Amino acid sequence: MGVPGVSLLTSLARLRALDEGIAQPIATVRHCHLRDQPMVFIPLKLSGEAAAPLAAMLGTERDRPRLLVVSQPRNRDLRFAWAAELAGVLLPYIARFLADTETVERRGADPYERALDAPQLIVPNAAGVAFTRLLGRSTRFRRADGPYPVPDVVPLLGRWLTYFGERAAYPGSSLMLAATEELGRHWASGQSSLEDANLAALLGWITEGPSDAAEDPLIWPPAGPATDPGFDAEVLAPAIDSGSAERITEALRSQLEPTWRLMWQAIDLLAGLEAGASVAQRWEQDRGSFSGMAQSIAEGAPPQARRDGAIAAAAKLARMERAQAGYEVQRAYDDPLIMAEYRLTGEAFAGEVIETVPDNVEGEGRSRKLRPLVVIKTDDPVRLPPGASLGTPQRRGQGAELVSADEGLVTVKITKGMGRGKTPTPGAVPEVGERVCYTSLTDDFQGSPNLPDAEATPWTHGGPPQHHAAEHTPDDEDAQEEWS
Amino acid sequence: MSGMNTQQRLDALRGATPPRPHDARAIAALAANPGCTRRALMDGAGADKDAAARHLGFPAPFGQSPFAITRGNVFESLVKADGCAELLRMLRELLGLPIAEVAYHDVENVGAHLRHAHTRALIDRAARDAQDAGTLYDHPLLTLRIAGHTAYLEPDVVAFQLGGRFHIVEIKSFAVIDGQADPAAVAAAARQAAVYVLALRTLLEELGHDPLQVSHDVVLVCPENFANRPVATLVDVRKQLAVLRRQLTRMTTLDRLLEGLPDDLTFDLLPGEDGRPTRPVAELADALRRTTARYAPDCLSTCDLCFFCRDEARQEGASDLLGRQVRDELGGVGSVAEALGLADGARDPAAGQEEIARLLRNAERLRRECLT
Amino acid sequence: MSDRLDDLERRIDELRAGVRKAMRARDGARARALRAELRTAERDWDALVSGEQPAAAPEPTPLVTVREQVHQGLRLLGATAQPRLIVAVSEAFLGGTIRSAQLTSLRRDEERSFRTAPYGRPYYLGAALTDRLSPARGLLTLSGWPLERRVVGPLSPRVDFLTCAIAVASQESEDERATRLLGRMARNIPGATNASSGALGPPCPERVIEAARAELAVHAERDTRDRAELARRAAAQLDDAARLFGAATLSTIKKEYVT
Repeated sequence: MGVPGVSLLTSLARLRALDEGIAQPIATVRHCHLRDQPMVFIPLKLSGEAAAPLAAMLGTERDRPRLLVVSQPRNRDLRFAWAAELAGVLLPYIARFLADTETVERRGADPYERALDAPQLIVPNAAGVAFTRLLGRSTRFRRADGPYPVPDVVPLLGRWLTYFGERAAYPGSSLMLAATEELGRHWASGQSSLEDANLAALLGWITEGPSDAAEDPLIWPPAGPATDPGFDAEVLAPAIDSGSAERITEALRSQLEPTWRLMWQAIDLLAGLEAGASVAQRWEQDRGSFSGMAQSIAEGAPPQARRDGAIAAAAKLARMERAQAGYEVQRAYDDPLIMAEYRLTGEAFAGEVIETVPDNVEGEGRSRKLRPLVVIKTDDPVRLPPGASLGTPQRRGQGAELVSADEGLVTVKITKGMGRGKTPTPGAVPEVGERVCYTSLTDDFQGSPNLPDAEATPWTHGGPPQHHAAEHTPDDEDAQEEWS
Repeated sequence: MSGMNTQQRLDALRGATPPRPHDARAIAALAANPGCTRRALMDGAGADKDAAARHLGFPAPFGQSPFAITRGNVFESLVKADGCAELLRMLRELLGLPIAEVAYHDVENVGAHLRHAHTRALIDRAARDAQDAGTLYDHPLLTLRIAGHTAYLEPDVVAFQLGGRFHIVEIKSFAVIDGQADPAAVAAAARQAAVYVLALRTLLEELGHDPLQVSHDVVLVCPENFANRPVATLVDVRKQLAVLRRQLTRMTTLDRLLEGLPDDLTFDLLPGEDGRPTRPVAELADALRRTTARYAPDCLSTCDLCFFCRDEARQEGASDLLGRQVRDELGGVGSVAEALGLADGARDPAAGQEEIARLLRNAERLRRECLT
Repeated sequence: MSDRLDDLERRIDELRAGVRKAMRARDGARARALRAELRTAERDWDALVSGEQPAAAPEPTPLVTVREQVHQGLRLLGATAQPRLIVAVSEAFLGGTIRSAQLTSLRRDEERSFRTAPYGRPYYLGAALTDRLSPARGLLTLSGWPLERRVVGPLSPRVDFLTCAIAVASQESEDERATRLLGRMARNIPGATNASSGALGPPCPERVIEAARAELAVHAERDTRDRAELARRAAAQLDDAARLFGAATLSTIKKEYVT
């Protein structure tokens, strides 16, 4: 997750927002997938405890929130009963997507089944993601038999919550989103990123401008998972002492309902943006990953290990770094405002085509190749050396090379994607007067996005599910771990 | 020039408001924003920032849930139960504490006014004669001089180990899950423990012993995973100690911060008979504005005055509001109007601002191009 | 009667709102006063709803009193102990029903009773005495024990813990709570758990006893010496009441925690 892109462009947008009293866009398209009927999930936890649930409001329809409450938060058994109730809502939602699949062919490996659609969880903030992961950690090793039995859906829920929590850290994944993070990727507020973690405050900036009310817990209760200490002292503690489940439930409802409304407001705002061109492709990877997880559960794999072993951790890190790089390139190609960051640093430039040599060729005889030349006039500070290889959002299949850059004039030679003909196909070479953008940012996704090598593809990324239990097999100790 | 010495001036700054004693958390927070003159002066004078903030209409946004407090107390008593049985197990594992080392002294068995003297005597005995020393000192009371005031500090436990090393034991109720804990919580615990290390080292030095007998590795005790079972970890607080020392040294030079401030400047709340402040709010706000604050969003979690200073930064249009990353990105352009003026060309760059001005103008051009 | 209940409920709601308001205004004194009223109202409501008169609302007398349960727990343990351990032992082996909150005023009540009518009861629940002969915080003893057992030197908390562990391990019980208690104690005694088979599973009582005795042997000599010296001083300097409940010092200023 991390801080949404800190760059001079974003900083300038923040300054502008502060000056004008309203958030400024820092993206022109939506960079996350947003499905219809996402599962909005707002968990609350008991203060002072690592992962003791208090309540959750959740559901896929804005006018039908479900409220699940631990009716006596000090009772451990009731926490597991609550987890079972949560499973009763989330597991059927997940199962809905398992039936309809497509067969995906892979080079050098067996084809696999990929879900046509996948579930999506949306929580208010990064802390909500972390709590979901902890909730998963605290339930996935439980057992339905033995000394401390729990309802049998609880460990299964734990594995899914763990999966969603971990997947949320995967760059560009949309299976689990944090509302403040996604909003912060698309709008710059006039406050610090620390204050942006307050959903009410951030939404205030985006819609009507800042308001002190957003920080008043009596008007906008915190979006969880932590509750307002004043609420704990003055409302919740007396309610718990009274022993009245009804009082506790109503108290917690009062803390969750305002956030529920904010969550749907956030979803509406994001839905108002058109999806970026690469969003569908990343969602496809999400679907593959989801199917891999479902299959590994179906095949009886053990729950995710407590910690990755050294090798698995290194592989995961490398995978995340590749995904991060790919995600950044895709966002730049999808969105001129993101690309502008690279134009500012000289890694990209845009401008008008003023001259072309469409039939320029290199080599003789058989090795004679079509290498059209394009001259672009730009105001951007180009900091690329001659010979730098380039890509362009306007023609994603093409590759080019920088020939020279001088005094605002850049000559580019198209080197890839011109076919074998003696003359270029119509439209392959930009016309004089067309606005184009070239950048040294390139990503493998331009190759064959749908058919990665099976071995090279981790299961979390849509590859074959591998049982990653070799380094740690959960034992009885995990199942019996105290949960206080 | 002022006719008063520094201490008199600090007392005048605080006025009739009773001094607010420093605890370890407050001292640790000093180190969080060493550049803030307003905070340095208020803390130096022992002014009650919380009361001032409330009187100004900007109460601090902190508060601790009773559930968290209860949980903390329960966990601490569990660690210390039955002659610190759990703690002994952990110290044996972590420090190789010999089996014979179990002597336990509850300093709180003496009266409150004797606790510091008793702590002093016990620590002196341990440092002088390791053979006959105790091992665990529960509820010790240490002191530290903060700008002329004595702050009383209560570490959870001091452990003394054969071989002559003292360790500060800090008991916290945030969980360590699969070997990982909330980094912010660990950092806060380390800053607080560093205050205790410094206080204990100061005590040893005063008693004529080697201050480095106090280890810079503190023992942090937390619940493990989702159970109540405690687990101990050694945390190196050398860096926190260095920051703390630097800040405390800075506080002893408060006279320089006082230079240029009027003699009659005071943060006095003028408490009435019922203790409620009677000072006109505008007057207090004016007095505070005479001192320079260095607001940063981090203040929101550490300083009682944060909302007042944030409001001031807003009125001044300071780019500090947006956080350190933005401030660094702007490289020395302090105000929002100035930065925006440079960006749209309405303002000419001052000497040294040429590069940031060029970048801002470029950024502005690109944003306009992409958004129209 | 239901009219009166309605009235009380309304009153309780008002008082709760008042407490909240007072806390908002940081008016601690008013909040405390209102809270006290609130408690009275709640007690009246409880009494009324269960068909009793408010004036007579005694706690239902258990078959065994709290002080008797503590007495039995301490006898089983055979050494000074904290209320928490006494409660756990009472639950695990004696079918006890003590709540920790019931123990807070116990020692004060015992002292008052003793001072009113010395030795009027067959036994008293006393305080352990520190090296200053003041009452040790949170450590209970039995009046019938020799003075040496009722004083605590620096090593005594550990020695008494080990003694208690041996006592717990020597008890027969099928109760799961007993197993858990022994497990918790064993974990903190070197060699008491079988590390190779995992710290899981019930600890072996013989092994716990053996390990506890081994560590006791390390501390016994010095602890016995310390305690004998303290006992000698206590016998010489203290009157009967102070020997049981500790010498009042000038400095017993209790810290008040506001919760």
